[in-house]
Amino acid sequence: MASTQHVLLSPAELAYLHSSLSQTPPIRPDGRTATQFRPLVAETGILPGTNGSARICFADGTEAIVGVKAEVEATGRQEEEGDEEGEGGSGNGNGNGSDWVEMSVEIPGVRDDDSGTAFLAAMLSEAVVADGGLVGRLRINGRFHWKLYLDILLISPPLSYPLPLLSLTTHLALLATRLPRLKSEGDEDPFFDDDWAAATYLYPRGEKRTRRPPVTLLVMAVGKNIIFDPSKEELAVADVTLAVSVGEESKPDSEKQKRGRRLKLVAVRTVDPPSRLTPPGVPNAVNAAYGAGGRQKQTGPRPVEPEAVEGVWRAPRGGAKPVVMAALVQKTLEAGGVADEVLDALDGVDLG
Amino acid sequence: MPLDTSAYSLALLRVDGRRWNELRRIHAQIRTQAAADGSSYLEMGHTKVMCVVTGPSEPGPKRGGMTGGVGGGGGERSSTADVSVSVVIAGFSSVDRKRRGRGDKRTLELQSTISSALAASLHTHLHPNSTIAISLHVLSQDGSLLAALINAATLACIDAGIPMTDYVVACTAGSTSTYAANDEGADPLLDMNHQEEQELPSLTVATLGSSDRVAVLVCESRVQVSRLEGMLAVGVDGCKQVREILDRVVREKGRRMIQEGTIEKGMSLDDMDID
Repeated sequence: MASTQHVLLSPAELAYLHSSLSQTPPIRPDGRTATQFRPLVAETGILPGTNGSARICFADGTEAIVGVKAEVEATGRQEEEGDEEGEGGSGNGNGNGSDWVEMSVEIPGVRDDDSGTAFLAAMLSEAVVADGGLVGRLRINGRFHWKLYLDILLISPPLSYPLPLLSLTTHLALLATRLPRLKSEGDEDPFFDDDWAAATYLYPRGEKRTRRPPVTLLVMAVGKNIIFDPSKEELAVADVTLAVSVGEESKPDSEKQKRGRRLKLVAVRTVDPPSRLTPPGVPNAVNAAYGAGGRQKQTGPRPVEPEAVEGVWRAPRGGAKPVVMAALVQKTLEAGGVADEVLDALDGVDLG
Repeated sequence: MPLDTSAYSLALLRVDGRRWNELRRIHAQIRTQAAADGSSYLEMGHTKVMCVVTGPSEPGPKRGGMTGGVGGGGGERSSTADVSVSVVIAGFSSVDRKRRGRGDKRTLELQSTISSALAASLHTHLHPNSTIAISLHVLSQDGSLLAALINAATLACIDAGIPMTDYVVACTAGSTSTYAANDEGADPLLDMNHQEEQELPSLTVATLGSSDRVAVLVCESRVQVSRLEGMLAVGVDGCKQVREILDRVVREKGRRMIQEGTIEKGMSLDDMDID
């Protein structure tokens, strides 16, 4: 799946962009450093009709709104057993509980059964469920659980690959989500406090602070450089693009007092960058317009894959090298790295 | 629906405490979205919608997914701009979560109503072979959905700078008693909320600016014909009030943009006859 629509850049422009991004330090078209995120504006609690909602606006104008709604649902018999197992194994949320969270993504101008949209929704929901912490929280008692519906709306036209935007907005909406306080006890039919002020946060804060929902970040490699939060043009020359979901690990008691957080890797997906579909450039040596070619004609059939020439654009071929993948993940997770910085920034958002 | 409509006759107050001719609070903003050509956000009571306009632009092949609009034929060259509207009703917008697909009949009808209403008011002949893509997002619904969508779309088109004859403004009107109740003294009501819409007959009317020219008239419930005239008169009167409110929003934004120097000023602010 190509992650964005075709970017209308010529091979010469692509080659220029690629070489400026492969320099040390890389020169990005918008002047950011390699690990710098786009500035963003975020707010939560914008829709009183939902259990939790958030809106994020990136500086390039892309905007998303996420609303969370919760419903009480009866837990099926076998599901319940499976759930207990899942909790024992400290949340390897595969299979069971994955249908307790339902996500839908709406992107303007794109059909809702479009493969790209479905892939986005799958990527976002698998990170949330795979983190494991959420499913346990949705449990009311042995017979009932909350079913969470997350509706993700991209308001602006999709200017860049919207994955980081949607993921951050979902993260904030989940943080702002509150569920009515349970009044009933044990396995009786659930009965809730109708005072919304008494509602509890799905992810409690303050003293009882727990792990937070994961965020999915887009990372790409160009040459030897690792670049975070790529724009549409930068994606067009990416060698490898990775969607890395980062969660927070609960700290052991000995580390409780220390500042900072322990990050853990939740999921990794390779995203097919549009660079693979770009047309290659033609080196002057074989370009008939530059007087070449007369000599070449006699040499038999043209090679299928022309040799790489310095400064001439050639779409990246083949898969990612394990070393590069490891470096991308490593760079994301390191303490004080981008994931840390993003989570810190989101901490600053007032959850009202 | 447990709406006690009989209470109206006692104090002449509606369920949310309004009189018969009062609008709900309307809050509107334009240019809410930097990346789009035009954008707006509109609240009518608890109904909240967002609108993003792209265009007029050359119709690209990617727009194929857009539903609505007039001519679906791709290769055909048209002498007017094509107004294509897509309405997305968010799953979380109503009290109970309801998932609506893009092919939902109600949504399609909303789209075609808005598209034809705006196409008549916009000077589409100035932009041949182009598309004006209007995408509307419903964030929260509490009655008068079509009216809110039309108002938001108008504001976004103004923000996009698409030439148009006048505002297309809409609001709803209803009647205090149901179709079956043979009540002679039924009062008309302005700007229905969701609860009233469920129970009472109502219609949506859109007019061209503050004139009496009706651009859209949609009535989906049974209503006695003798009450229709009163409802329509109240609705048209409401549209005039809505136009005043929207106009104030646009002027206020324009004034601020000149002050901030966002747009080039041709003359000083004092010379300019803004009002």
